[in-house]
Amino acid sequence: MKPSAFQYERPEDLQAALALLASGEDTRILAGGQSLVPMMNYRLAQPDVLVDINRLSELDYIKDDGDVIAIGALARHAAIKSSSLIQAHLPIIAEAYSWIAHAAVRNRGTLCGNLCHADAASEMPAIMQILEAEMVVSKVGSNRTVAARDFFVGVYETTIEADEILTEVRLPKPGAGTGWGFEEVAMRRGDYAWCTVVATLRLSDGRIAEPRIALAGVEDCATRLAAAETALKGQAPNASLFDDVAEAAAKATRPSASATSDAAYKRDLVRALLPRVLNDAVARST
Amino acid sequence: MTKRSIELTVNGRLRKATVPPRMLLSDFIRQELSLPGTHVGCEHGVCGSCNVVVNGQAVRSCLMFAVQAEGAEITTVEGLAQGDALHPIQQAFWEEHGLQCGFCTPGMLATAQELLAQNPDPSDDEIREAISGNLCRCTGYEFIISAIRSAAAKLREANTETTLQPV
Amino acid sequence: MSKHLKSNVIPPSRQRETPRTGLTWIGQSMKRVEDPRILSGKGGYIDDVSVPGMAHAAMVSSPHAHARIIRIDTTKAKAVPGVIGVYTGEDMATVVEPCPSFASPPITQHAMSVGKVRHVGEVVAAVVAEDRYIAEDAADLIEVDWEVLPANVDLETSATATGDALLHPDDRDSNVALDESFSFGDVDQHFEQADHIIKRQLRWHRSSAQAIETCGVVAQFDPFKGGYTIHSNSNFYNFIPFVIGGALRVSPGELRIIPVLTGGSFGSKVFNHKIIILTAGLARLAGVPVKYIEDRLEHFTNSDSHGSDRLYDTELAVTEDGTFKSLRFTVMDDYGAYLQFGVGTHGNAMAQVTGPYRIESFGMRVLAVLTNKTQQGPYRGFGSEVTNWVMERMADAAAAELGRDPVELRLQNMIQPDQFPYMIPTGNIYDSGDFQKVLAEAQAMFDFDAWRDRAAALRAEGRCVGIGLATCMERSVYGPTEWWSLNNRETPGFTLTSTPEGITVRLDPSGKMFVTLNSPMVGNSPETVVAQILAERLTIAPEDIVFNYSDSQSGFNGVGPQGSRFTAMIAGACVSASIKLEEKLKRFGAHMLQRRPEDVELRDGKVAVKGLKDQEKAFGEIALTSSFFRLSFPDGEEFDSGIETTAVYDHPLSTDPAEDRSHLGIFYPIVGHICHIVAVEVDPGTGKVDILDYAAVHDNGTMVNPRTLAGQVWGGTANGIGTTLSEQFLYDADGQFTNPNFAEFAMPTANEMPRNFKLGHVETPSPFTEYGIKGGGEGGRLGAPSALTSAIEDALSDRGVKITSLPVTPPILRGLIRDAEQATTG
Repeated sequence: MKPSAFQYERPEDLQAALALLASGEDTRILAGGQSLVPMMNYRLAQPDVLVDINRLSELDYIKDDGDVIAIGALARHAAIKSSSLIQAHLPIIAEAYSWIAHAAVRNRGTLCGNLCHADAASEMPAIMQILEAEMVVSKVGSNRTVAARDFFVGVYETTIEADEILTEVRLPKPGAGTGWGFEEVAMRRGDYAWCTVVATLRLSDGRIAEPRIALAGVEDCATRLAAAETALKGQAPNASLFDDVAEAAAKATRPSASATSDAAYKRDLVRALLPRVLNDAVARST
Repeated sequence: MTKRSIELTVNGRLRKATVPPRMLLSDFIRQELSLPGTHVGCEHGVCGSCNVVVNGQAVRSCLMFAVQAEGAEITTVEGLAQGDALHPIQQAFWEEHGLQCGFCTPGMLATAQELLAQNPDPSDDEIREAISGNLCRCTGYEFIISAIRSAAAKLREANTETTLQPV
Repeated sequence: MSKHLKSNVIPPSRQRETPRTGLTWIGQSMKRVEDPRILSGKGGYIDDVSVPGMAHAAMVSSPHAHARIIRIDTTKAKAVPGVIGVYTGEDMATVVEPCPSFASPPITQHAMSVGKVRHVGEVVAAVVAEDRYIAEDAADLIEVDWEVLPANVDLETSATATGDALLHPDDRDSNVALDESFSFGDVDQHFEQADHIIKRQLRWHRSSAQAIETCGVVAQFDPFKGGYTIHSNSNFYNFIPFVIGGALRVSPGELRIIPVLTGGSFGSKVFNHKIIILTAGLARLAGVPVKYIEDRLEHFTNSDSHGSDRLYDTELAVTEDGTFKSLRFTVMDDYGAYLQFGVGTHGNAMAQVTGPYRIESFGMRVLAVLTNKTQQGPYRGFGSEVTNWVMERMADAAAAELGRDPVELRLQNMIQPDQFPYMIPTGNIYDSGDFQKVLAEAQAMFDFDAWRDRAAALRAEGRCVGIGLATCMERSVYGPTEWWSLNNRETPGFTLTSTPEGITVRLDPSGKMFVTLNSPMVGNSPETVVAQILAERLTIAPEDIVFNYSDSQSGFNGVGPQGSRFTAMIAGACVSASIKLEEKLKRFGAHMLQRRPEDVELRDGKVAVKGLKDQEKAFGEIALTSSFFRLSFPDGEEFDSGIETTAVYDHPLSTDPAEDRSHLGIFYPIVGHICHIVAVEVDPGTGKVDILDYAAVHDNGTMVNPRTLAGQVWGGTANGIGTTLSEQFLYDADGQFTNPNFAEFAMPTANEMPRNFKLGHVETPSPFTEYGIKGGGEGGRLGAPSALTSAIEDALSDRGVKITSLPVTPPILRGLIRDAEQATTG
């Protein structure tokens, strides 16, 4: 298991990196490498050119930008997990990270790299969807911003083009009083999930406002549960409501097959986890 | 593809080499630097046997290319003992029977180094969480956890002694 | 003893060192001798070996489960710069013969396929190149044309397959490689007279040890001498030259196998003969030394060490009062594509198939079924982990059907302390034990009664909490008749009966003791064990002993760490060696002290005159004088220079199987006992199992080093937890192995282990081994699956879930819960 040969480029700034990507060759970006390098070791990925962006220190940041928290392409999982900014405003991300891989992988891996890899069982794409994050995508001469809901297309598939870099993720700070829930079932803690359910919501006069729910690991791509959100909106939280919503969500999902589980199991997990996530979100909302 | 020259510090020693870009850091350390204490168990980033400390952080050396380590400071298992004195973490692994076949041990030691540098007095659950990225098939982990707990105490004691000494 | 076993008389004990208290070194949790070099990164594993001019091999593996090889085109691969040679199975066949086989008649297996592949991952071609990267580049360029054949994936379907679906039409006209039936005692009569016949179909799925180090070889061929020098991480390097010399077309004397520190085995590196033959053949073809280290994918798919994969139809005959009278089953085992060790794993299980119970008769039909999967090999338990689970499932089933308390029913049927040595229906004996004491200690440690109350209270709140208890046997000190005793009587094959273990001890003129072992270190503690025993025997300090390992040309009898044999066997060799060495030391020392040998004794590393304080000679001085000053001693060969000895210890107690197989002889008689108790909570919505509490008590006879034994028990238990809850090899309908990686084959991490594991020991010494030592390398995995399964079933008893198959991963367990829910709601 050794990678095939490639041309190695290590630009010192973003413009140089973008220029390399624009060259038209079969090029891959090397950020944390925690998903790409295993694929290269298995020779499932054999890029001609590898553009190592690890020296673009300009992209290594987690910053407070008013209503949003901006995370640069080179911010590592470990830094985000322990960031006081994240812990204060987006505790769901800190919690999620205790379920994602292990310390040595989090030391190298980056959030942006993880999002671009778009593994169906990865937690962060679902969290980006409920936070309604915006993805800043750069190429030579231009930037564009993509909403998280439009960014993820399928298994290992995003709307990013070969000559682009996801340079920044912009996470709106949730409104005051927003509660959140996170539940996951995987074979072992740290494994890719069979099912992750995430949610945020607020309570307004004892009724659910702005519910946002997403699944990861179940379908080909992380998905928002629009129907469930509609069903919850304006309702007073109660157990039978949550069970009904979970039941409907479970029936509506189209689980993808995997070697270690089946569709019926994934539906059962949606059924079991969704009420727990909603209960936690309600309990955490103020 | 074109080889690249790199310079890095490994176990306190400046090392220079010319390597093909695709050479994994794990192979570079083992073969080019002749430091075979770093072990390769899976080459897909799960087992943690190849963990080494790069710039203070434990990382999978099978998931880095040697060229990426240009300018880095790396500690491998060979850099822990001072002469014939085992490092306190190694000593604790010995005393607490924290190893059997020893193949996962260098990776465990790298993980423990980072943990104890960040958290001098970890709880058992924190130790468990920290080493959960390192697979061991021999021990069932219990004695590894005892070893790291004991190492933490040894290091705290050593640090206390150091700080008490007049500068 | 049963009437039909009259001919099987238990031979007298050859024990020389009786179990006793007050020992200085035996029984101490001494720090391991092996550790400092390993901890400092200087252990020396197989991939650390480098020889001048060494090249590296990469393999081309079959992507198909079953296919004919039509054509292999190596042209492009040969043209890659840095490539030394590219070889196919046809090329290999010019220098090596097929692999040795314990199946009888044999089933042909080539180290590199010739004509046909029979599982995904089987090697069809290899590249030898300057480095592994280049070798893999070239391997990618080899083109193979295939004719895909029907893949046999299902055990029962494969058994009836014909035509192109036959795996080995030249060797067998069926995919059932062996089908033998046995009856030990009055099975039919006991079933006729039974008040209850408990029936269960039980399934145990395949997984494997997956030591963190894979298998590897560095091989050199010397064309002038016609021999090989081979570094290997085999467990068995002093035995395999004899076995593989034929395949390599050399005499064992021309085959030098050099051991290395081994990064875990758990059975998976017991032989490693295929990878040795493969690499050696490449070295011969390429004309350069070749290193081949399996990568993880190759280790999963081609390392021939998959574990048991069995389907049991089991019946237990029980009388009205709950007495277990007889056990019988038909077992089909999915052995994969070859049968390297015959049905040795079933032979092994015959050592303790009836568990700790007084079951009077036992019958079995065993079918070895071939399928298009990687073949089986040894894995911690070697088949007995499965029968332990089967027996305990049946005990639980009997309790459930008779409405009896499962612990009380076990106690009622248990062998009593005064019944040892106890012969079970198959003819094996249990040397000693006190199962009731082990059970009582485990219950006390677990606080069993309190836990039962707590579990009942939690269940009343609707939580799925349960307790499981298993009382299991741990046979140790393996005897090799297990490999062939179940073969057809007309064609038993190679009827091996020896398992010696030897040692060489030499006193250096400086006073240090040099010890040469003939079995490698694989994660056990061979040096520590020997240091403790020799220190005990010879009154020296353990740190005065220096260790090294023979190679296959400088060593002799060594069978290696397997079948929980090494500690008990090397202890025997140490006793033999120290008796000889003591005699020699006394002879030389007495002469130097001008006394008679009978007037001196060993004292603190000296030969000393009995009863006199200062009349003594240090071992170093005796060794120095005997080595360098020959004229200080009388003529005669009893004063030949140097203090050294070589000793070998044979199996302490074994007999042949009966000619008619009415019994299988005594072959695995040093038997420990274990009791595991576990409390779990199941999340019924997700199928996740949370281990709330765990206690294990093991009786492995006299303990040499309690801490290293505890390490083995802990590790084995972790292994057993994985086997029960998360580890399974998955194949799709085409025979593709779908999870051969560490991300999806889920071995437990520290997070998956119980938080409050309690471990205890009872010491019932063996009357047959030195000091009463029993082996203890497998017990955790021999007990954990039974206890955990039982706990899960107990937790879900209100929901009517029965566990009849392992593993119970969350998706599988949730599936069982869902089925039960649907059955209730209609």
